[in-house]
Amino acid sequence: MTAEPEARELGAEDRAPELVPLNAIFATDFVQILVPVTTVNTMAEVAAAVAHHVEGKRVRALPYDKVVIFDGQRMPADMTVAAAGINPLDHVTVEYDIPEQS
Amino acid sequence: MALLKREEWQGFVRDVDWSYRYVDDEAVYPEWMSGTGKVPREAWASWEESYKVSYPEYVATQREKEAAAYAVKAALQRSATFDQLDQGWKSATKMHFGGVALVEYAGVLAELKMARFGLAGAWRNMAAFGTLDELRHAAITTFFGHEFVGKDPQYDWTQKTFHTNDWVAISLRNLFDSMFIANNVVDVALQLPLVFETGFTNLQFVALAADALESGDVNFANMISSIQTDEARHSQQGGPTLEILVEHDPVRAQWVVDKAFWGSARAFSALTGPAMDYYTPLEHRKQSYREFMEEWIIDQFVHTIEDYGLKKPWYWDEFMRGLDIWHHALHMGLWFWRPTLWWRPKAGVSKDERTWLAEKYPNWEKVFGDKWDVIIDNVNANKVEATLPETLPWLCSTCHLPACNATQSRDGTWRVRDIKLSYDGRTYHFCSNGCRQIFWKDRDNVNHETLIDRFLAGQIQPMDVGGILGYMGLTPDVMGDDPDYEAWTKDYVGRAAAGTAS
Repeated sequence: MTAEPEARELGAEDRAPELVPLNAIFATDFVQILVPVTTVNTMAEVAAAVAHHVEGKRVRALPYDKVVIFDGQRMPADMTVAAAGINPLDHVTVEYDIPEQS
Repeated sequence: MALLKREEWQGFVRDVDWSYRYVDDEAVYPEWMSGTGKVPREAWASWEESYKVSYPEYVATQREKEAAAYAVKAALQRSATFDQLDQGWKSATKMHFGGVALVEYAGVLAELKMARFGLAGAWRNMAAFGTLDELRHAAITTFFGHEFVGKDPQYDWTQKTFHTNDWVAISLRNLFDSMFIANNVVDVALQLPLVFETGFTNLQFVALAADALESGDVNFANMISSIQTDEARHSQQGGPTLEILVEHDPVRAQWVVDKAFWGSARAFSALTGPAMDYYTPLEHRKQSYREFMEEWIIDQFVHTIEDYGLKKPWYWDEFMRGLDIWHHALHMGLWFWRPTLWWRPKAGVSKDERTWLAEKYPNWEKVFGDKWDVIIDNVNANKVEATLPETLPWLCSTCHLPACNATQSRDGTWRVRDIKLSYDGRTYHFCSNGCRQIFWKDRDNVNHETLIDRFLAGQIQPMDVGGILGYMGLTPDVMGDDPDYEAWTKDYVGRAAAGTAS
């Protein structure tokens, strides 16, 4: 008798997008805000979603790319929320990626 | 028969106790209500208030106070005083009426509990007077606010606020439920009469009455003064209770006092802070909020607790640093999320006002000026829509106020940092280390869900700004807006403004 194959959980990339509400802060803004994203959003999209509420509204817009900082690490722009291991209610910071002065 | 002299009967009537024949003491004074803890039952017999009053004296005095307060009100009702009041001051009164009227009722419940479960006859007697006081305060505050409903529907929130799920109301309910209603009477006596009344409102009401007179609002000054004279009497229940608790359980006394001071300070920074430093017209400001807190609240509080043998709270440095940050950030939050308020918050950042702010708070421009500048430039570019919210601020799981307390890095920059806690499979975020520590120590208590918790649980539908405002009970005729954008933006018209909303 053969055992039934175990039900395998789908990888994040094969599942439907799931809502990931984040506690986020944009650069020098004065307050943390609620920003909903999904598991399939990239870090560039997360940065844009956070910036939407603040950039040019409370923090003056600067001509630089933005980077998501999660758990003290800079996240690659094309990495998804699921791949970054960002879970609902986690905190992210979005910063301008200002080049070091040479 | 000759009447007895006061001193011959007062000691008996103010401190009546008796022995039970049919039930035991625990049945009459259960621990979960009376809260004696490590204090021996007999120790409470020494409880003694410093200012004694009899019922006939109480009634006579209160009758006079009521008559005086209502006479002034009746006289002013026929004048045009109200119509000439500054919008900023009116906002301060709306905030006060909505935020306080039913807190006075919570005070009734707290006093009643002490009048029933306090472990000394003298304490129960004093709490009975306290109950009558708080009933009067709930009534007079509700009635005085109600008078203006016909002139301005925002005054309807005098009665409505605490029955809504407005985020300010949730924050205040959470605080006052935990300080006044959910506790045994020993903890109530430390948190309500001692910390909140002796420490905060008793003195704040004196300052508020002076501000009201300065702003020309004689009616409000009259009401507040009338209330304050009661506070001064019944707030003395805290001292004798603390004295007995400190002798037998100083650790508990320190914790309860510390926690109540922190919670009260957070609420004050949200309401009193903006009213003093932004809503009050510049020419009427006598003190900054920081100066008021230092002179009236902090010095007195520290002296009081040291007199009783307690130490400064563990969070003292964080609290003192917060005097330059908390209320400024909360003001910006109240203003940006102004449709969620039942008053009209003045931004209060014209050039003259900013000069005053920078003088009183040397870091103000560095921490807050840049954000206000972007807001100002958007208003002046006719982009007011860019100054309105499209999401919620994150609300602290302890104080339910926005997580907006920037702290300074070693390199001098100011940032809002995440202060979180993972507990029981969930992540919580806090506005400060003080709030985080209180949550951790009280984690098994019932805590109100924050508005964020409710939103994410799907309790607020539809899940958008309209749904949120509806859930909070706000209607278009009441939603807060700045009363006069031009007043604080005209100084900056025509300046170069890059990096604003597209």
